Amino acid sequence: MISLRAMFAADGDAGVRMVRERSAAADALVQALWAEATVQDAALATGVTVMAVGGYGREELFPASDLDLLFVVDNAAKEKLAKDSIKRLSQQLWDSDVRVAATTRAIAECEKFDADNAEFTLSLLDLRYVAGDAALGSRLSDTALPKLIERERKPLLARLVKLTAERHSRYGHTLFHLEPNIKDCPGGLRDANTCGWLMRLHPGVAAGAEFAEAFAFLASVRCFLHVRAGRDVNALDWKTQDAAAAEGIGVDGGRARDAAQWMQMYFRHARVIARRFEQQTDALPRSRPLLRLPDALKRKGAQAESNGMRLVRGRMELDEATQFYDAAHDPETVLRAFAMAAETNARLSHDAEVRIEEGVPALSSQVEEGTALWHQLRPILLGPFAGAALRSMHAMGVLELLLPEFHGIDALVIRDAYHRYTVDEHTFVLIDTLHGLADVTTGPMAEWSRRFAAILRDLEHADLLYLAALLHDTGKGRSTGEHTHESARLAQSVLQRLEMDEYDSGLVLDLITNHLEMSAALRRDIFDAETVRGFAAKVQTPEALRMLTLFTFADIHAVHPDALTPWKAENLWRLYIATSNYLDRNIDDERFDSRVSSELVHRVTLLLPGENREVLQFMEGFPQRYLRTRSPEQIRTHYGMARKLSQDEVQLDFNWRADRSELTLVTPDRRMIFARMAGVLAAWGMNIITADAFSNTQGIIVDTFRFTDTFKTLEMNPGERERLVQSVHDAAAADTMIASRKRARRRDPLIKVDTSVEFDTASSTHSTLLQVVAQDLAGLLYAVSTTLGEARCNIEVAVIDTEGDTAIDVFYLTRDGDVLDPATLPQLQQKLVAAIADNAG
Amino acid sequence: MQKIEAVIQPGKLDAVKEALIEAGIEGITIVEARGHGRQKGHTEFYRGREYSVDLLPKIKLETVVPDALVDKVVSAILTAAQTGSIGDGKIFITRVDEAIRIRNEDRGDPAL
Repeated sequence: MISLRAMFAADGDAGVRMVRERSAAADALVQALWAEATVQDAALATGVTVMAVGGYGREELFPASDLDLLFVVDNAAKEKLAKDSIKRLSQQLWDSDVRVAATTRAIAECEKFDADNAEFTLSLLDLRYVAGDAALGSRLSDTALPKLIERERKPLLARLVKLTAERHSRYGHTLFHLEPNIKDCPGGLRDANTCGWLMRLHPGVAAGAEFAEAFAFLASVRCFLHVRAGRDVNALDWKTQDAAAAEGIGVDGGRARDAAQWMQMYFRHARVIARRFEQQTDALPRSRPLLRLPDALKRKGAQAESNGMRLVRGRMELDEATQFYDAAHDPETVLRAFAMAAETNARLSHDAEVRIEEGVPALSSQVEEGTALWHQLRPILLGPFAGAALRSMHAMGVLELLLPEFHGIDALVIRDAYHRYTVDEHTFVLIDTLHGLADVTTGPMAEWSRRFAAILRDLEHADLLYLAALLHDTGKGRSTGEHTHESARLAQSVLQRLEMDEYDSGLVLDLITNHLEMSAALRRDIFDAETVRGFAAKVQTPEALRMLTLFTFADIHAVHPDALTPWKAENLWRLYIATSNYLDRNIDDERFDSRVSSELVHRVTLLLPGENREVLQFMEGFPQRYLRTRSPEQIRTHYGMARKLSQDEVQLDFNWRADRSELTLVTPDRRMIFARMAGVLAAWGMNIITADAFSNTQGIIVDTFRFTDTFKTLEMNPGERERLVQSVHDAAAADTMIASRKRARRRDPLIKVDTSVEFDTASSTHSTLLQVVAQDLAGLLYAVSTTLGEARCNIEVAVIDTEGDTAIDVFYLTRDGDVLDPATLPQLQQKLVAAIADNAG
Repeated sequence: MQKIEAVIQPGKLDAVKEALIEAGIEGITIVEARGHGRQKGHTEFYRGREYSVDLLPKIKLETVVPDALVDKVVSAILTAAQTGSIGDGKIFITRVDEAIRIRNEDRGDPAL
């Protein structure tokens, strides 16, 4: 057998050369045999021509491919005359070990178009004269065929597009298969041929050098597959990948490669072909507007027009470049285009894609880093079509420009029997899964998708979840160490460039570092309290738990379409609930102890040089939950406020934001203080979304309320903000309860929520835990906390949360420094239920 | 030749798999299952909304082994999956008349 290495070692074009040489050799053989036939029967010299079609017609004869011959005859009489000669020629070819597929057609048949057999006309697109009557051949290829194409362009295009779509659907419309079929998969040789046919039917911009290179690579691989198997095999399975990589197939100089690296080359080339195909299909004429633009898109379109781009037939076009300005070199415009793609699923036009791709070097000199870049990336990640937008950024090299960390996992293959996609594609599928949670409404996963979608809706930092998702596997591109740590390390440099604050980066980094922890916990007994405790210790906060739960759900799903069974989803949900409950019920028991040093303490004390001892005193005794849910900067602020208590014993920190304001109170603990705060905010018509109350060993409390301004009072009247702070201050400083309160206006609830008031005496050793679940109405927190105050309950810790129309409030209560007397609980429960009903009434 | 079916805690799967490989068992079928025996379900409270757990997640393993291996396999599963508490699961053993490998029509023990 010929040495494969010798055949392919030379260079990347070895395959193309080989198929051309084989084709030329076949030409010589066919010509010689036909000349011989003509000598035997002179009548064959005119009126019969031998044409090549298919791969042979394109002069691409692969080692195990058929030799497709089309004998074209002038008329029926000639056909009869030539019949035996054609038969003999076919036999002679068979005997020379050439697999031949010969057909005979009268030229009149070739000129006709049959809608039911459009494939025949399509096959003529590769027609090439080999032997016989040259004038007849020229009549067909130079006159009849161009006319036919001109006349039947539309149905031919439609048929070609349909055939291709059917073929792509057999491969799930993705080229990122771990064991691809290099002929039929998207991005395979058939797509490359289709590009040629499309050019013939609808001429456009010629393919570039990249396309030729990609084709040459695939041609080499197919030659290798055919020679290796001795037949027409086109599936690139793992064994063949190893062999091809070891031989350095398609690699200049034929150097051996690692199989994963070699597959990266394959995917890069296949992507070039797939994109060329997409661009050409996009450029095809359409008989009617692509689709009626949804209103959102129209609005966006109008808005986009003033911003360097515009929508044309549902595709985004960049403004023409001028001497001074090129939109394709302007990071702001380019990223806004991708944000629009993410929001509306509008795609870039071919021209815009080419300009952006070519403009990447110019773009790179313009890109600003820091928070500005994050503000441009956020909408891309948050858009419902983020996956599509990111894929297109990736294909154009824009994603790697912004996040070079992504380069290592470009088309990276993970070899196991479990993964279906390459690492980059896995990442995009993961992001698609998160965005698509709410869309799964049928099938066995519907119920679970609905529940997890509800977690996503209440997530405060969805943008950070998507960012972590984008970066979570970047470490797989490095061969050293655990990929989770490598990914975190790479992410750290991204976060620094984005100038993200410590708290936000912490969430992203922890999520990346811990991204396998929940899957690991699922492999243990999730009903075992130890498993839950250990897992809770890793995630630490409810927000991090929600993020990791969603991440894990999507990560499992993105490995393989069938990897996430309802059974697994249910276990994931159970672990989520158990951990969520654990986090809420153990706040009181896990308090800060200054003798135990931690990373966080270190970070806080760094911010306050020289005040180490005072800071530790301030932090002593706060529940860990307080410290874990605040950034070091926030703790510094609270500490500063506590230092000023000697001047004014009510310290307030108010941050107004249109969507959610935050008010923090630092003051010595005393009776009903939490209730008074809740009361004032309710009287102002503020809707408290989340709140918490914590106290330290010195008896200083830090109460934080996050609320929305339902009636936009503070937005319309900025002066009112100061008045709000003043009235909160007065209420907190006053000895008595505010006598009356006006009832705030309310919006009607969408869903009715039943009230539930429950005590838990087992979870905490020194407090009684109260959980109130009720309809979220203004004044609810005031009603509950007043009732608690009147019953002489001290609120040690409060965690207030809202999910849609449901308020979920957890209080850790003591009376005279001890747990509540169990005998008094039923009466307190009745009072609370009555107070909640009264507030709702 | 006998079929061994074992219903175990999902958290014990890795340990049982390892023990079986150690015992020389190469082929097992794993089924994700739900069920309860005397353990019954329990009710979880999730943020006030009751969330009942009637059927607990279980893993069912199936393997067919030559008679000589049955005791070894059973003790491997017992060692790996036993915690002593309710819900550890059960092992069922049934006699199998014949096994046929579809690929080459091997019969009996060689087909296992």
